[in-house]
Amino acid sequence: MAAANRHKAARLRRNIVLYAAAGLLFFVWAFPVFWAVVVSLKSETEVLAYPPRLFFEPTLLNYRDALVGGFSILPSFTTSFIVSGLTTVLTVVLAVPCAYAFARLRLRGKKWLGFYTLVTQMVPPVGLVIPYFLILNRVGWLDTYQGMVIVYLTFSLPFAIWLMVSYMEDIPREMEEAAFLDKASRFQALWHVILPQVRGGIAVTVIFVFLNAWNEFLFAVQLGGNTVRPVTVAMYNFVSVEQTLWAKLSAAALIAMLPMIIIGFAAQRQIVKGLTVGAVKGGGRR
Amino acid sequence: MSDGKGRVTLRGIRKDYGSFQALKGIDLDIEAQEFFALLGPSGSGKSTTLRVIAGLETPDAGTMTVDGQDVTHAEPGERNVAMVFQNYALYPHMTVEQNIGFPLRMDGVPRSQIPPLVLEAARRVRIDHLLHRRPGQLSGGQQQRCALARAIVRRPRLFLLDEPLSNLDAQLRLETRVELKRLHRSLDVTTVYVTHDQEEAMTIADRMAVFLDGEIVQVGTPDDVFNRPDNLAVAAFIGSPPMNLLPGRFEDGAVILAGERIALTHRSERAAGDVVAGIRPSHIRVAETGVPARVVLSENLGETMLVNAEIEGRPVKVRLPEVRRIGDGETVRLVFEPNHIHLFDPQSKRRID
Repeated sequence: MAAANRHKAARLRRNIVLYAAAGLLFFVWAFPVFWAVVVSLKSETEVLAYPPRLFFEPTLLNYRDALVGGFSILPSFTTSFIVSGLTTVLTVVLAVPCAYAFARLRLRGKKWLGFYTLVTQMVPPVGLVIPYFLILNRVGWLDTYQGMVIVYLTFSLPFAIWLMVSYMEDIPREMEEAAFLDKASRFQALWHVILPQVRGGIAVTVIFVFLNAWNEFLFAVQLGGNTVRPVTVAMYNFVSVEQTLWAKLSAAALIAMLPMIIIGFAAQRQIVKGLTVGAVKGGGRR
Repeated sequence: MSDGKGRVTLRGIRKDYGSFQALKGIDLDIEAQEFFALLGPSGSGKSTTLRVIAGLETPDAGTMTVDGQDVTHAEPGERNVAMVFQNYALYPHMTVEQNIGFPLRMDGVPRSQIPPLVLEAARRVRIDHLLHRRPGQLSGGQQQRCALARAIVRRPRLFLLDEPLSNLDAQLRLETRVELKRLHRSLDVTTVYVTHDQEEAMTIADRMAVFLDGEIVQVGTPDDVFNRPDNLAVAAFIGSPPMNLLPGRFEDGAVILAGERIALTHRSERAAGDVVAGIRPSHIRVAETGVPARVVLSENLGETMLVNAEIEGRPVKVRLPEVRRIGDGETVRLVFEPNHIHLFDPQSKRRID
């Protein structure tokens, strides 16, 4: 009886510690978002009040301005969707066969090719802005959709390829050999046997690539312009030399976050599954 | 069921992996409808040979024919062979029904004709009640049956099994062994069966090839291989434990072992000379007279007893038909049954008849 109570007390203590740690981490991560929510509900003058006031008259005017005001971010939403969507689709379409080749085929020079695939990930992105600017300028693709998508592909493809390679290497070779013996062609084996088993990996790839493209700012602001102006850049209209409209900027940022939050929730299960891939042996018989 | 074909011929098959010679020139004839075992320890080349037959490996040299047709460089899918892998290689995202039906789908069988064929194959291996499960929801034995059903559904010309029982527990292995044999009889398809378990090969195969270090050291019926090993390598491998091999001398129709002269009943025409005498543990008795041996350890196996002894410092194993008390360190006298002594040439390592 006493032992059982001691056990209970120990478990309670442990839970309190765990919850406290989780709460602290949550606070660190969620605070900026929370602050943005608070700011977005204030008037511009209220925002600048110092010290910040805890109680104020909340207003939704900032959201209205961000959506339908003079600097509406809605048109740039479409741009962001086009750029992010195209980048994602092209990344998956190119990365899957590429990853399959890396994972399965015996190719000459595969090792160094795989290594140099990652080369764009080795340089600080800012170092690539000028070369990309010069290249796009030369081919006349500055401020075009194809220009932005190509630039994003150079970042998303290496990441996607290597992610997909790890998923594909997890599938036992015999699975494919069995398909070959069952008269499947290589393409049929890929389509019927491999792809359904790497669905989770594809979902993770889609989410990360879309997210990165959606949130990208540096290249969008330098290489885009008036035609291609994604939300991240459009939000900047609220920041000018004379003043910064913090409340409207916050409202716009929160609106821009919305699609990501929806996708994140929808794909949560896939992401968690995806990040633990290879954690269990015998993955082929999941 | 089958069209009565499936004769496999391998000639001079070589396969290297870098500097490792996996197959050093394999010659093999497998008759139509035969249940043929490839037996050998791991790394001996038996699985590579099976993969060459399947078309999953291309040999570096040599030819392979099936029913006289050269298929050395044919793709796996063109060979009309089916294979059961050691880990079954079931498609985890498909149901049992879809798994079994997959080869039919790939073969272009019309959709309406697939379900009855799948059902028939599933019935043969008694998993017709599990058709809507996924492989992950099956036990090891059921997964194995599913793999079997997927292999037989297409009625292949050749049926290849790569250590199909090694992932089952001992009890199930015995049952499945019998069932495989029965399945083979009812299908009448040439079956090539890879195993490292000699008991499995002995009980299940019509004929077998013994592999060692990338070479075939003997081909024959289980009876041949067990009772008339061709060479010292097979003699040292087959049997559990394998036969005792002792240096001796042959003279006037008798073999001299550790100073003891044993008259042989069945061999006489041979010049005197050194030999290696092989005798199975069960063909040695403990008696009042005979070759003296010091007992190192005696193991009680329940029904029988295995005595590990030494004759002049050389290990000898003796299997006694009944359990009795023999103390370690004790000296016993051993009698070798003369008509069960095999002789081998110490130079050529070949059997002497």
